[in-house]
Amino acid sequence: MTQVLDREQIAEWSAQQPQRPWTKKPARLQARIAVAALLPAALVALLFMYTEIPGPVLLVAVYFPLQLLAAGIAAVATKGRQGAADSVIIVLSVGATLFSFIILTSVLGSLIVRGLEAVWGEDGFRSSFLFQNNVYINPSTPLEYGGLGHAVIGTLMIVLIASLIAVPIGIATAIYITEVRGRAVPYVRFFVQAMSGIPSIVAGLFILTVLIVSGAMNQSAFAGGLAYAILMLPTVARTAEEVLRLIPEDLRTGALALGSTRARVVLRVVLPAAKTGVITAIILGVARVIGETAPLLLTSLKSDQTILNPLTDPIAALPTYIFDNVALPYPGAVTRAWGAALVLMILVLILFTIARILGRDRLNRFR
Amino acid sequence: MSTAEYESTAEYEGDVTVLEEQFMEQKSVGPIELESQDVSVWFGQRKVLEGVNIAFPKNTVTALIGPSGCGKSTYIRTLNRLHELIPGAALAGSVLYEGKDIYDTDIDPVHIRLQIGMVFQKPNPFPSMTIRGNVLSGLKLSGLKRDQHDDIVEETLTSAGLWNEVKDRLDSAAGELSGGQQQRLVIARALAVQPHVLLMDEPCSALDPTSTLKIEETIRELSKDITIVIVTHNMQQAVRVSDYTAFFLAAENEPGYVIEQGPTTDIFGSPRDQRTLDYVNGRFG
Ligand SMILES: Nc1ncnc2c1ncn2[C@@H]1O[C@H](COP(=O)(O)OP(=O)(O)OP(=O)(O)O)[C@@H](O)[C@H]1O
Ligand SMILES: [Mg+2]
Repeated sequence: MTQVLDREQIAEWSAQQPQRPWTKKPARLQARIAVAALLPAALVALLFMYTEIPGPVLLVAVYFPLQLLAAGIAAVATKGRQGAADSVIIVLSVGATLFSFIILTSVLGSLIVRGLEAVWGEDGFRSSFLFQNNVYINPSTPLEYGGLGHAVIGTLMIVLIASLIAVPIGIATAIYITEVRGRAVPYVRFFVQAMSGIPSIVAGLFILTVLIVSGAMNQSAFAGGLAYAILMLPTVARTAEEVLRLIPEDLRTGALALGSTRARVVLRVVLPAAKTGVITAIILGVARVIGETAPLLLTSLKSDQTILNPLTDPIAALPTYIFDNVALPYPGAVTRAWGAALVLMILVLILFTIARILGRDRLNRFR
Repeated sequence: MSTAEYESTAEYEGDVTVLEEQFMEQKSVGPIELESQDVSVWFGQRKVLEGVNIAFPKNTVTALIGPSGCGKSTYIRTLNRLHELIPGAALAGSVLYEGKDIYDTDIDPVHIRLQIGMVFQKPNPFPSMTIRGNVLSGLKLSGLKRDQHDDIVEETLTSAGLWNEVKDRLDSAAGELSGGQQQRLVIARALAVQPHVLLMDEPCSALDPTSTLKIEETIRELSKDITIVIVTHNMQQAVRVSDYTAFFLAAENEPGYVIEQGPTTDIFGSPRDQRTLDYVNGRFG
């Protein structure tokens, strides 16, 4: 016998509220989870208070194994043997995440605490530190005077030059590999792979010996940008290649079937579909180089002045500024180095945010 | 019937004469727009099709039928030079479009594909474009100039039976459409460039009966002006939309052949080959 929709019931159903029954857990299970989570923590807290064992050791050698055990027992008690495997995976992955999170936050924390000392003193917020340069400043000058504005400009200039060179070439290389698919693909891939193994100081040495010692150019932002570009290129090329490879072949065939040329397939279909990924490739490329110090020591040297000409003069950059200051036996200089490190990090954050906004996929909101 | 039986040389020779007769019959029908001559196809060392001779008269609908894996999609892709995109692909024989071999060295495949459009077995809308953008993408990609874009969008989406469902959200992402809606979208996309020949690879396999009927209506309508080749697994559909039918068959690990071809009424009403009779009556394998 068949059933027919009952109109009376529709009114009843329209009063229904959306619910998420899968998020609810039985009270007994909740209690067990609470005990399994709190007991090891409480035990470790006691040990920490009443023994001399250092905190990190307790965390790694006592807390994690204990938590694993507790979660395992709780899982076996509620779900049987299969639950145990589940809980081990969960505790391990949560533990690993927590571990890296702790390391990351302690690095960030010390960076922020020590860095703020340079930017924020008894005299309040020191905009001078952000906007002034290093002229007439020696290591013992109080922090109220001088700053790293010139190094920020230098870093931005060098990274911009590097990006202008490495991003187009890197993306073009990826397009050659995944779209053009010419005969040289294996060699190009091998070459790019080999290039990603170049130590950064070798990139600097290369520019120094080939272009600077030979007299072709000065030690300058441009020379630094070239050295950075050498390091950036393989990262951009390889990441972009991976991203383009993910674009389904159907899309290319579909575009060709509409009478498209190869160039239009790449420009109008493949690259737009891979836009967010390509932006990621660029971000990873910038991230690869922006903190590199060694190549700059050889190619752009340093300067105390604000240099705006990228071709003629040595120029300061944030990594070299940090490198110079951190080694000095003056607490003020070391604080400046921490401040510069903080500024470098914030700069990276700003650049990445801009890139993400530019690369936002208007259409596919759910991705 | 067993594989060995229809592989025997005697039967194969019989097929060839049947083919030739029907081929001649077709020629008398009208000008031939597209024609494949002795086309054999390889993927690497594996030969998947052999000696396919089919002529497509202008402004007619030809259905290609046959069991899964017998090479229908492969064949249809040789007709607008998409086959060559697959690494290791090879081909023998020739495909004549308006009397000229499309595989001649001085022929630009882009030009061929512009005139011989295609709808694929799997819907492939461009994810970076809106619904409207997808319909018009052919014009952008091929550099064709056509005015009144809004009219084109409405017209082609209506032909594809999708207009009413999407007219209020032409600017949202094509990826948000359901599978069947995407399929109708790519049909509209193929129509917007106004091809002379349209190759359709199972265009209705993901569609509901209403949309299917709408597409079939569109195919009949279009066939007044263009030549259509449609692959289908739906026998009723082949009967409903096509003027001619070609039946493909491949034995296991053997290349596929056209077993029988001719006017659809003959193929379904009085097939000469036992295998065709079995297949069109759903008694195969
Ligand atoms: N890219 C490829 N590389 C190698 N072999 C392929 C490729 N594409 C198809 N084939 C083989 O060619 C033969 C014909 O495939 P084809 O897709 O043309 O079948 P079909 O008749 O369209 O089947 P269906 O009705 O299931 O779509 C199959 O045996 C298949 O395995
Ligand atoms: Mg197929």
